[in-house]
Amino acid sequence: MWYHKPVINEELLQSLPNLKVVASSGVGIDHLDLKLLSSYGVKVSNTPFVVSTDTADLGMTLMLASSRRLVEGHEMAVSPDTEYFPADWLGAEVSGATLGIVGMGTIGYKVAERAKAFEMKILYHNRSQRKKEEESAVGAVYCKKIDDLLQQSDFVLLAVNLTPQTQKLIGKRELELMKPTATLINISRGLVVDQDALVEALQNEVIKAAALDVTYPEPLPRDHPLLKMKNVIITPHIGSATKKTRWIMMEEMTESIEAGLAGRPIPREVL
Amino acid sequence: GPGLKVISTLSVGFDHLALDEIKKRGIRVGYTPDVLTDATAELSVALLLSACRRLPEAAEQVKSGGWTTWKPLWMCGYGLSDSTVGIIGLGRIGQAVARRLKPFGVRRFLYTGSGPKPESAAEFGAEFVPLTRLAEESDFVVVTCALTPATQGMCNKDFFGRMKKTSVFVNTSRGAVVNQEDLYDALAQGQIAAAGLDVTTPEPLPTDHPLLSLKNCVILPHIGSATYATRSTMAVLAAKNLLAGLRGEPMPHELKL
Repeated sequence: MWYHKPVINEELLQSLPNLKVVASSGVGIDHLDLKLLSSYGVKVSNTPFVVSTDTADLGMTLMLASSRRLVEGHEMAVSPDTEYFPADWLGAEVSGATLGIVGMGTIGYKVAERAKAFEMKILYHNRSQRKKEEESAVGAVYCKKIDDLLQQSDFVLLAVNLTPQTQKLIGKRELELMKPTATLINISRGLVVDQDALVEALQNEVIKAAALDVTYPEPLPRDHPLLKMKNVIITPHIGSATKKTRWIMMEEMTESIEAGLAGRPIPREVL
Repeated sequence: GPGLKVISTLSVGFDHLALDEIKKRGIRVGYTPDVLTDATAELSVALLLSACRRLPEAAEQVKSGGWTTWKPLWMCGYGLSDSTVGIIGLGRIGQAVARRLKPFGVRRFLYTGSGPKPESAAEFGAEFVPLTRLAEESDFVVVTCALTPATQGMCNKDFFGRMKKTSVFVNTSRGAVVNQEDLYDALAQGQIAAAGLDVTTPEPLPTDHPLLSLKNCVILPHIGSATYATRSTMAVLAAKNLLAGLRGEPMPHELKL
Protein backbone atom coordinates (compact mmCIF):
# COMPACT_ATOMS: atom_id res chain seq x y z
CA MET A 1 0.00 0.00 0.00
CA TRP A 2 1.15 3.52 -0.78
CA TYR A 3 0.77 6.34 1.73
CA HIS A 4 -1.83 5.33 4.29
CA LYS A 5 -4.67 4.16 2.06
CA PRO A 6 -6.75 2.05 2.13
CA VAL A 7 -7.58 2.21 5.83
CA ILE A 8 -7.06 -1.28 7.21
CA ASN A 9 -9.81 -2.05 9.68
CA GLU A 10 -11.85 -5.03 10.84
CA GLU A 11 -14.27 -4.63 7.92
CA LEU A 12 -11.55 -4.70 5.28
CA LEU A 13 -9.76 -7.66 6.81
CA GLN A 14 -12.97 -9.68 7.03
CA SER A 15 -13.65 -9.00 3.35
CA LEU A 16 -10.16 -10.25 2.41
CA PRO A 17 -9.93 -13.71 3.99
CA ASN A 18 -6.94 -14.72 1.88
CA LEU A 19 -4.86 -11.67 2.71
CA LYS A 20 -1.39 -12.78 3.78
CA VAL A 21 0.90 -9.75 3.48
CA VAL A 22 0.54 -6.01 3.70
CA ALA A 23 3.54 -4.23 2.25
CA SER A 24 3.50 -0.59 3.35
CA SER A 25 5.50 2.14 1.59
CA GLY A 26 7.91 4.27 3.58
CA VAL A 27 9.13 3.75 7.10
CA GLY A 28 6.16 5.02 9.15
CA ILE A 29 3.70 2.41 10.40
CA ASP A 30 1.56 4.64 12.61
CA HIS A 31 -1.36 4.19 10.22
CA LEU A 32 -1.41 0.40 10.79
CA ASP A 33 -3.11 -1.43 13.64
CA LEU A 34 -0.43 -4.09 14.08
CA LYS A 35 -2.35 -6.01 16.75
CA LEU A 36 -5.40 -6.24 14.52
CA LEU A 37 -3.38 -7.41 11.53
CA SER A 38 -1.58 -9.98 13.64
CA SER A 39 -4.87 -11.33 14.92
CA TYR A 40 -5.86 -12.05 11.32
CA GLY A 41 -2.51 -13.73 10.67
CA VAL A 42 -1.47 -10.99 8.23
CA LYS A 43 2.22 -10.13 8.03
CA VAL A 44 3.42 -6.54 7.58
CA SER A 45 6.50 -5.08 5.94
CA ASN A 46 7.72 -1.50 5.36
CA THR A 47 10.58 0.17 3.44
CA PRO A 48 12.68 1.74 6.19
CA PHE A 49 16.21 2.61 5.12
CA VAL A 50 15.73 3.52 1.50
CA VAL A 51 13.74 6.67 2.39
CA SER A 52 16.32 8.01 4.82
CA THR A 53 18.60 9.96 2.49
CA ASP A 54 15.89 11.77 0.54
CA THR A 55 14.02 12.61 3.74
CA ALA A 56 17.15 13.96 5.39
CA ASP A 57 17.83 15.97 2.23
CA LEU A 58 14.34 17.42 2.40
CA GLY A 59 14.81 18.28 6.08
CA MET A 60 17.90 20.29 5.13
CA THR A 61 16.07 21.86 2.19
CA LEU A 62 13.23 23.03 4.44
CA MET A 63 15.63 24.44 7.01
CA LEU A 64 17.65 26.33 4.39
CA ALA A 65 14.59 27.51 2.49
CA SER A 66 12.95 28.80 5.64
CA SER A 67 16.02 30.56 6.98
CA ARG A 68 16.95 32.22 3.70
CA ARG A 69 13.29 32.96 2.83
CA LEU A 70 13.50 31.05 -0.41
CA VAL A 71 9.82 30.72 -1.27
CA GLU A 72 9.18 34.40 -0.51
CA GLY A 73 12.27 35.35 -2.52
CA HIS A 74 11.19 33.30 -5.51
CA GLU A 75 7.73 34.89 -5.42
CA MET A 76 9.34 38.33 -5.36
CA ALA A 77 11.71 37.53 -8.20
CA VAL A 78 8.95 36.32 -10.51
CA SER A 79 6.18 38.70 -9.49
CA PRO A 80 4.97 41.20 -12.10
CA ASP A 81 4.67 43.77 -9.29
CA THR A 82 8.37 43.75 -8.44
CA GLU A 83 10.18 46.81 -9.76
CA TYR A 84 13.51 46.38 -7.99
CA PHE A 85 15.06 44.13 -5.39
CA PRO A 86 15.28 45.97 -2.05
CA ALA A 87 18.83 46.09 -0.69
CA ASP A 88 17.70 45.46 2.87
CA TRP A 89 15.74 42.27 2.17
CA LEU A 90 17.53 39.81 4.41
CA GLY A 91 17.35 36.32 5.88
CA ALA A 92 19.20 34.49 8.61
CA GLU A 93 22.21 32.21 8.16
CA VAL A 94 22.06 28.50 8.76
CA SER A 95 25.85 28.25 8.81
CA GLY A 96 27.11 28.37 12.39
CA ALA A 97 23.63 28.23 13.95
CA THR A 98 22.42 25.62 16.48
CA LEU A 99 20.32 22.70 15.26
CA GLY A 100 18.35 20.59 17.72
CA ILE A 101 17.38 17.17 16.33
CA VAL A 102 14.51 15.47 18.11
CA GLY A 103 14.75 11.80 17.20
CA MET A 104 18.25 10.73 16.25
CA GLY A 105 17.40 7.63 14.28
CA THR A 106 18.63 6.89 10.78
CA ILE A 107 17.04 10.00 9.31
CA GLY A 108 17.96 12.29 12.23
CA TYR A 109 21.57 11.17 12.05
CA LYS A 110 21.76 11.81 8.30
CA VAL A 111 20.47 15.32 8.92
CA ALA A 112 23.25 15.78 11.48
CA GLU A 113 25.86 14.64 8.93
CA ARG A 114 24.63 17.25 6.47
CA ALA A 115 24.28 20.01 9.03
CA LYS A 116 27.86 19.48 10.18
CA ALA A 117 29.13 20.64 6.79
CA PHE A 118 27.38 23.96 7.44
CA GLU A 119 29.36 24.26 10.70
CA MET A 120 26.16 23.98 12.69
CA LYS A 121 26.26 23.22 16.40
CA ILE A 122 24.22 20.03 16.80
CA LEU A 123 22.15 19.02 19.81
CA TYR A 124 19.94 15.95 19.89
CA HIS A 125 17.25 14.39 22.02
CA ASN A 126 16.55 10.70 21.74
CA ARG A 127 15.14 7.88 23.85
CA SER A 128 18.71 6.68 24.29
CA GLN A 129 22.12 8.23 23.82
CA ARG A 130 24.07 7.31 20.70
CA LYS A 131 27.56 5.78 20.84
CA LYS A 132 30.46 8.17 21.47
CA GLU A 133 31.95 7.57 18.00
CA GLU A 134 28.62 8.35 16.36
CA GLU A 135 28.28 11.53 18.41
CA SER A 136 31.78 12.79 17.71
CA ALA A 137 31.55 12.00 13.99
CA VAL A 138 28.93 14.75 13.69
CA GLY A 139 29.79 16.77 16.80
CA ALA A 140 26.37 16.09 18.32
CA VAL A 141 25.67 16.79 22.00
CA TYR A 142 23.05 14.69 23.79
CA CYS A 143 20.23 16.50 25.60
CA LYS A 144 18.59 14.04 27.95
CA LYS A 145 15.89 16.60 28.65
CA ILE A 146 14.15 17.95 25.58
CA ASP A 147 13.82 21.31 27.37
CA ASP A 148 17.59 21.90 27.12
CA LEU A 149 17.47 21.29 23.39
CA LEU A 150 14.46 23.53 22.88
CA GLN A 151 15.95 26.44 24.81
CA GLN A 152 19.26 26.46 22.93
CA SER A 153 18.27 25.68 19.34
CA ASP A 154 17.86 28.08 16.44
CA PHE A 155 16.30 25.25 14.44
CA VAL A 156 14.33 22.37 15.98
CA LEU A 157 13.95 19.45 13.59
CA LEU A 158 11.56 16.58 14.34
CA ALA A 159 12.58 13.15 13.04
CA VAL A 160 10.84 10.83 15.49
CA ASN A 161 8.35 8.17 14.52
CA LEU A 162 4.75 8.61 15.58
CA THR A 163 3.80 6.54 18.62
CA PRO A 164 1.45 7.14 21.55
CA GLN A 165 4.49 8.58 23.37
CA THR A 166 5.42 11.07 20.64
CA GLN A 167 1.91 12.28 19.85
CA LYS A 168 1.80 16.03 20.60
CA LEU A 169 5.42 15.84 21.71
CA ILE A 170 5.67 19.49 20.71
CA GLY A 171 2.85 21.41 22.32
CA LYS A 172 2.27 24.84 23.81
CA ARG A 173 4.80 24.26 26.59
CA GLU A 174 7.55 23.10 24.26
CA LEU A 175 6.93 25.95 21.79
CA GLU A 176 7.20 28.47 24.62
CA LEU A 177 10.56 26.99 25.62
CA MET A 178 11.89 27.60 22.12
CA LYS A 179 13.65 30.86 21.24
CA PRO A 180 11.45 33.55 19.69
CA THR A 181 13.95 33.52 16.80
CA ALA A 182 13.70 29.76 16.33
CA THR A 183 12.23 27.74 13.47
CA LEU A 184 10.37 24.41 13.80
CA ILE A 185 10.97 21.87 11.03
CA ASN A 186 8.81 18.76 10.86
CA ILE A 187 9.68 15.80 8.64
CA SER A 188 8.15 13.19 10.97
CA ARG A 189 4.36 13.09 11.29
CA GLY A 190 1.80 15.88 11.64
CA LEU A 191 0.46 14.48 14.91
CA VAL A 192 3.83 14.81 16.66
CA VAL A 193 2.99 18.51 16.85
CA ASP A 194 -0.03 20.02 18.56
CA GLN A 195 -1.03 21.86 15.40
CA ASP A 196 -3.43 24.33 17.04
CA ALA A 197 -0.74 25.26 19.54
CA LEU A 198 1.66 25.76 16.63
CA VAL A 199 -0.74 28.12 14.87
CA GLU A 200 -1.11 30.14 18.05
CA ALA A 201 2.64 30.21 18.66
CA LEU A 202 3.27 31.49 15.14
CA GLN A 203 0.49 34.09 15.34
CA ASN A 204 1.82 35.41 18.65
CA GLU A 205 5.46 35.33 17.47
CA VAL A 206 6.40 32.85 20.19
CA ILE A 207 8.59 31.22 17.53
CA LYS A 208 9.78 32.77 14.28
CA ALA A 209 8.79 30.32 11.58
CA ALA A 210 7.88 26.76 10.64
CA ALA A 211 8.64 24.47 7.71
CA LEU A 212 6.50 21.35 7.51
CA ASP A 213 6.51 18.38 5.14
CA VAL A 214 3.78 16.78 7.25
CA THR A 215 0.56 18.07 8.76
CA TYR A 216 -2.68 16.68 10.10
CA PRO A 217 -4.66 16.11 8.02
CA GLU A 218 -2.92 15.93 4.66
CA PRO A 219 -3.81 18.01 2.80
CA LEU A 220 -4.92 20.72 5.20
CA PRO A 221 -8.42 22.16 4.71
CA ARG A 222 -8.38 25.07 2.28
CA ASP A 223 -9.07 27.73 4.91
CA HIS A 224 -6.45 26.56 7.43
CA PRO A 225 -4.45 29.44 8.97
CA LEU A 226 -1.11 27.68 8.35
CA LEU A 227 -1.67 28.05 4.60
CA LYS A 228 -1.80 31.81 4.85
CA MET A 229 1.23 32.56 7.01
CA LYS A 230 4.22 34.13 5.26
CA ASN A 231 6.64 32.50 7.68
CA VAL A 232 5.37 28.95 7.10
CA ILE A 233 6.51 26.67 4.30
CA ILE A 234 4.44 23.53 3.74
CA THR A 235 5.38 20.79 1.30
CA PRO A 236 2.98 17.96 0.36
CA HIS A 237 4.68 15.05 2.18
CA ILE A 238 7.47 14.65 -0.36
CA GLY A 239 10.16 13.39 1.99
CA SER A 240 10.94 10.36 -0.13
CA ALA A 241 9.87 11.88 -3.43
CA THR A 242 12.58 11.05 -5.92
CA LYS A 243 11.87 8.68 -8.81
CA LYS A 244 14.87 6.56 -7.88
CA THR A 245 13.74 6.02 -4.30
CA ARG A 246 10.10 5.44 -5.19
CA TRP A 247 11.15 2.73 -7.66
CA ILE A 248 13.28 1.04 -5.04
CA MET A 249 10.39 1.23 -2.56
CA MET A 250 8.16 -0.49 -5.12
CA GLU A 251 10.76 -3.19 -5.69
CA GLU A 252 11.17 -3.72 -1.96
CA MET A 253 7.43 -4.00 -1.40
CA THR A 254 7.10 -6.47 -4.27
CA GLU A 255 9.97 -8.52 -2.86
CA SER A 256 8.36 -8.62 0.60
CA ILE A 257 5.01 -9.66 -0.86
CA GLU A 258 6.54 -12.43 -2.96
CA ALA A 259 8.43 -13.78 0.04
CA GLY A 260 5.30 -13.65 2.17
CA LEU A 261 3.19 -15.47 -0.39
CA ALA A 262 5.87 -18.13 -0.83
CA GLY A 263 6.03 -18.70 2.92
CA ARG A 264 9.66 -17.51 3.10
CA PRO A 265 11.01 -15.05 5.71
CA ILE A 266 9.82 -11.58 4.79
CA PRO A 267 12.46 -8.91 4.20
CA ARG A 268 11.75 -5.74 6.22
CA GLU A 269 9.02 -7.41 8.21
CA VAL A 270 7.51 -5.27 10.95
CA LEU A 271 7.07 -7.30 14.08
CA GLY B 1 34.04 63.87 -10.93
CA PRO B 2 37.76 64.66 -10.69
CA GLY B 3 37.77 64.59 -6.88
CA LEU B 4 36.88 60.87 -6.70
CA LYS B 5 39.59 59.02 -4.78
CA VAL B 6 38.03 55.77 -3.56
CA ILE B 7 35.38 53.32 -4.71
CA SER B 8 34.21 50.91 -2.03
CA THR B 9 31.93 48.17 -3.32
CA LEU B 10 29.69 46.00 -1.14
CA SER B 11 30.50 42.83 -3.05
CA VAL B 12 33.26 40.43 -4.02
CA GLY B 13 32.33 40.77 -7.68
CA PHE B 14 33.85 43.72 -9.52
CA ASP B 15 32.50 43.12 -13.02
CA HIS B 16 30.43 46.31 -12.66
CA LEU B 17 33.57 48.46 -12.40
CA ALA B 18 35.40 49.85 -15.43
CA LEU B 19 38.81 48.92 -14.06
CA ASP B 20 40.90 50.45 -16.89
CA GLU B 21 39.32 53.88 -16.40
CA ILE B 22 39.57 53.59 -12.63
CA LYS B 23 43.25 52.65 -12.78
CA LYS B 24 43.95 55.49 -15.23
CA ARG B 25 42.56 58.00 -12.77
CA GLY B 26 44.50 56.58 -9.80
CA ILE B 27 41.32 55.72 -7.92
CA ARG B 28 41.60 52.99 -5.28
CA VAL B 29 39.03 50.20 -4.98
CA GLY B 30 37.93 48.33 -1.88
CA TYR B 31 35.76 45.20 -1.93
CA THR B 32 34.41 42.52 0.46
CA PRO B 33 35.77 39.04 -0.28
CA ASP B 34 35.78 36.17 2.28
CA VAL B 35 33.17 37.63 4.63
CA LEU B 36 30.36 36.69 2.28
CA THR B 37 31.65 33.25 1.29
CA ASP B 38 29.61 31.19 3.76
CA ALA B 39 26.33 33.01 3.21
CA THR B 40 26.64 32.78 -0.58
CA ALA B 41 27.69 29.12 -0.55
CA GLU B 42 24.79 28.35 1.76
CA LEU B 43 22.35 30.11 -0.55
CA SER B 44 23.76 28.24 -3.54
CA VAL B 45 23.10 24.92 -1.80
CA ALA B 46 19.64 26.10 -0.68
CA LEU B 47 18.87 27.00 -4.29
CA LEU B 48 20.21 23.70 -5.64
CA LEU B 49 18.10 21.69 -3.17
CA SER B 50 15.02 23.82 -3.79
CA ALA B 51 15.35 23.31 -7.53
CA CYS B 52 16.02 19.57 -7.46
CA ARG B 53 13.29 18.84 -4.90
CA ARG B 54 10.87 21.29 -6.58
CA LEU B 55 10.24 23.23 -3.39
CA PRO B 56 8.46 26.38 -4.64
CA GLU B 57 6.34 24.28 -7.01
CA ALA B 58 5.36 21.86 -4.25
CA ALA B 59 4.66 24.64 -1.75
CA GLU B 60 2.43 26.32 -4.31
CA GLN B 61 0.47 23.10 -4.87
CA VAL B 62 -0.21 22.94 -1.15
CA LYS B 63 -1.63 26.49 -1.12
CA SER B 64 -3.53 26.29 -4.39
CA GLY B 65 -5.28 23.03 -3.65
CA GLY B 66 -3.42 21.20 -6.42
CA TRP B 67 -2.47 18.62 -3.83
CA THR B 68 -5.46 16.33 -3.85
CA THR B 69 -4.57 12.70 -3.38
CA TRP B 70 -1.09 11.37 -2.93
CA LYS B 71 0.44 9.48 -5.85
CA PRO B 72 3.82 7.71 -5.74
CA LEU B 73 5.42 9.57 -8.64
CA TRP B 74 3.79 12.96 -8.08
CA MET B 75 6.12 15.88 -7.40
CA CYS B 76 9.20 13.67 -7.52
CA GLY B 77 12.54 15.38 -7.80
CA TYR B 78 16.17 14.32 -7.94
CA GLY B 79 18.45 13.25 -5.11
CA LEU B 80 22.13 14.03 -4.61
CA SER B 81 23.04 10.54 -3.50
CA ASP B 82 25.64 8.94 -5.84
CA SER B 83 25.64 12.03 -8.03
CA THR B 84 28.36 13.91 -9.89
CA VAL B 85 28.57 17.59 -9.08
CA GLY B 86 30.34 19.96 -11.47
CA ILE B 87 31.55 23.28 -10.11
CA ILE B 88 32.40 26.05 -12.52
CA GLY B 89 34.91 28.20 -10.66
CA LEU B 90 36.44 26.44 -7.66
CA GLY B 91 37.20 29.66 -5.81
CA ARG B 92 36.31 30.44 -2.20
CA ILE B 93 32.59 30.18 -2.78
CA GLY B 94 32.90 27.12 -5.04
CA GLN B 95 34.91 25.30 -2.39
CA ALA B 96 32.46 26.25 0.35
CA VAL B 97 29.65 24.86 -1.83
CA ALA B 98 31.51 21.58 -2.37
CA ARG B 99 32.16 21.28 1.36
CA ARG B 100 28.45 21.60 2.09
CA LEU B 101 27.39 19.18 -0.63
CA LYS B 102 29.84 16.42 0.29
CA PRO B 103 27.77 14.75 3.06
CA PHE B 104 24.73 14.56 0.79
CA GLY B 105 26.33 11.47 -0.73
CA VAL B 106 27.90 13.09 -3.77
CA ARG B 107 30.01 10.43 -5.44
CA ARG B 108 32.26 12.68 -7.50
CA PHE B 109 33.20 16.35 -7.85
CA LEU B 110 34.35 17.84 -11.16
CA TYR B 111 35.48 21.42 -11.63
CA THR B 112 36.58 23.73 -14.39
CA GLY B 113 38.13 27.17 -14.64
CA SER B 114 41.13 28.97 -16.03
CA GLY B 115 43.46 26.35 -14.62
CA PRO B 116 43.68 23.45 -12.12
CA LYS B 117 43.81 24.21 -8.39
CA PRO B 118 45.22 21.06 -6.84
CA GLU B 119 45.35 22.32 -3.21
CA SER B 120 41.72 23.46 -3.30
CA ALA B 121 40.57 20.36 -5.17
CA ALA B 122 42.27 17.85 -2.87
CA GLU B 123 39.71 18.24 -0.07
CA PHE B 124 36.98 16.94 -2.36
CA GLY B 125 39.02 14.72 -4.68
CA ALA B 126 37.74 17.03 -7.39
CA GLU B 127 38.92 16.42 -10.96
CA PHE B 128 39.81 19.32 -13.27
CA VAL B 129 38.04 18.87 -16.61
CA PRO B 130 37.22 20.99 -19.67
CA LEU B 131 33.86 22.78 -19.61
CA THR B 132 32.41 20.39 -22.18
CA ARG B 133 33.16 17.30 -20.10
CA LEU B 134 31.77 18.94 -16.99
CA ALA B 135 28.51 19.57 -18.82
CA GLU B 136 28.34 16.01 -20.12
CA GLU B 137 29.09 14.18 -16.91
CA SER B 138 27.48 16.27 -14.17
CA ASP B 139 24.12 15.62 -12.54
CA PHE B 140 24.35 19.02 -10.85
CA VAL B 141 26.17 22.05 -12.27
CA VAL B 142 26.93 24.96 -9.94
CA VAL B 143 28.34 28.19 -11.37
CA THR B 144 30.43 30.14 -8.86
CA CYS B 145 32.96 31.86 -11.09
CA ALA B 146 33.68 35.55 -11.58
CA LEU B 147 32.23 37.37 -14.57
CA THR B 148 35.07 38.17 -16.96
CA PRO B 149 35.36 38.49 -20.74
CA ALA B 150 36.27 34.78 -20.74
CA THR B 151 33.21 33.63 -18.81
CA GLN B 152 30.64 35.92 -20.39
CA GLY B 153 27.95 33.86 -22.13
CA MET B 154 29.87 30.69 -21.31
CA CYS B 155 26.75 28.70 -20.45
CA ASN B 156 25.12 28.63 -23.85
CA LYS B 157 23.33 26.37 -26.30
CA ASP B 158 26.35 24.10 -26.74
CA PHE B 159 26.80 23.80 -22.98
CA PHE B 160 23.17 23.02 -22.20
CA GLY B 161 22.98 20.67 -25.17
CA ARG B 162 25.69 18.52 -23.61
CA MET B 163 24.04 18.34 -20.18
CA LYS B 164 21.99 15.34 -19.07
CA LYS B 165 18.19 15.41 -19.34
CA THR B 166 18.03 14.71 -15.61
CA SER B 167 20.51 17.41 -14.60
CA VAL B 168 20.02 20.57 -12.55
CA PHE B 169 21.77 23.89 -13.34
CA VAL B 170 22.44 26.47 -10.61
CA ASN B 171 23.89 29.96 -11.13
CA THR B 172 24.86 32.18 -8.22
CA SER B 173 27.67 34.01 -10.00
CA ARG B 174 26.50 36.71 -12.42
CA GLY B 175 23.59 36.66 -14.85
CA ALA B 176 25.81 37.44 -17.86
CA VAL B 177 27.70 34.14 -17.52
CA VAL B 178 24.53 32.50 -18.84
CA ASN B 179 22.93 32.94 -22.25
CA GLN B 180 19.38 33.25 -21.01
CA GLU B 181 17.63 32.50 -24.28
CA ASP B 182 19.61 29.26 -24.58
CA LEU B 183 18.80 28.38 -20.98
CA TYR B 184 15.11 28.96 -21.62
CA ASP B 185 15.21 26.69 -24.67
CA ALA B 186 17.06 23.98 -22.76
CA LEU B 187 14.49 24.02 -19.94
CA ALA B 188 11.44 24.30 -22.17
CA GLN B 189 12.61 21.44 -24.40
CA GLY B 190 13.57 19.16 -21.53
CA GLN B 191 17.29 19.18 -22.33
CA ILE B 192 17.91 19.71 -18.62
CA ALA B 193 15.54 18.97 -15.74
CA ALA B 194 15.60 22.20 -13.73
CA ALA B 195 17.48 25.39 -12.99
CA GLY B 196 18.03 27.67 -10.01
CA LEU B 197 19.17 31.27 -10.60
CA ASP B 198 20.07 33.84 -7.97
CA VAL B 199 21.32 36.17 -10.69
CA THR B 200 19.88 37.21 -14.04
CA THR B 201 20.26 39.87 -16.70
CA PRO B 202 18.73 42.28 -15.88
CA GLU B 203 17.65 42.12 -12.23
CA PRO B 204 14.71 41.91 -11.95
CA LEU B 205 13.78 40.25 -15.22
CA PRO B 206 11.11 42.06 -17.25
CA THR B 207 7.64 40.84 -16.32
CA ASP B 208 7.09 39.12 -19.66
CA HIS B 209 10.40 37.23 -19.68
CA PRO B 210 9.88 33.58 -20.70
CA LEU B 211 12.08 32.23 -17.88
CA LEU B 212 9.48 33.49 -15.39
CA SER B 213 6.87 31.19 -16.88
CA LEU B 214 8.81 27.98 -16.32
CA LYS B 215 7.74 25.76 -13.42
CA ASN B 216 11.16 24.14 -13.31
CA CYS B 217 13.11 27.38 -12.95
CA VAL B 218 13.56 28.75 -9.45
CA ILE B 219 14.58 32.39 -9.49
CA LEU B 220 15.76 34.36 -6.47
CA PRO B 221 16.27 38.13 -6.15
CA HIS B 222 20.11 38.10 -5.84
CA ILE B 223 20.20 37.22 -2.17
CA GLY B 224 23.46 35.27 -2.09
CA SER B 225 24.91 37.31 0.74
CA ALA B 226 21.62 38.61 2.11
CA THR B 227 21.75 37.75 5.79
CA TYR B 228 21.72 40.16 8.71
CA ALA B 229 25.09 38.96 9.97
CA THR B 230 26.88 38.96 6.64
CA ARG B 231 25.55 42.26 5.33
CA SER B 232 26.49 43.98 8.62
CA THR B 233 30.01 42.62 8.32
CA MET B 234 30.19 43.64 4.67
CA ALA B 235 28.93 47.14 5.47
CA VAL B 236 31.49 47.66 8.22
CA LEU B 237 34.25 46.34 5.97
CA ALA B 238 33.18 48.57 3.09
CA ALA B 239 33.19 51.58 5.40
CA LYS B 240 36.65 50.68 6.70
CA ASN B 241 37.91 50.25 3.12
CA LEU B 242 36.50 53.64 2.20
CA LEU B 243 37.91 55.49 5.19
CA ALA B 244 41.34 53.88 4.80
CA GLY B 245 41.34 54.88 1.15
CA LEU B 246 40.47 58.48 1.96
CA ARG B 247 43.22 58.60 4.60
CA GLY B 248 45.79 57.15 2.19
CA GLU B 249 46.21 54.09 4.42
CA PRO B 250 46.22 50.36 3.53
CA MET B 251 42.70 48.98 3.14
CA PRO B 252 41.54 45.80 4.87
CA HIS B 253 40.64 44.45 1.40
CA GLU B 254 41.93 46.39 -1.57
CA LEU B 255 41.39 45.24 -5.11
CA LYS B 256 44.71 45.05 -6.94
CA LEU B 257 44.31 46.91 -10.25
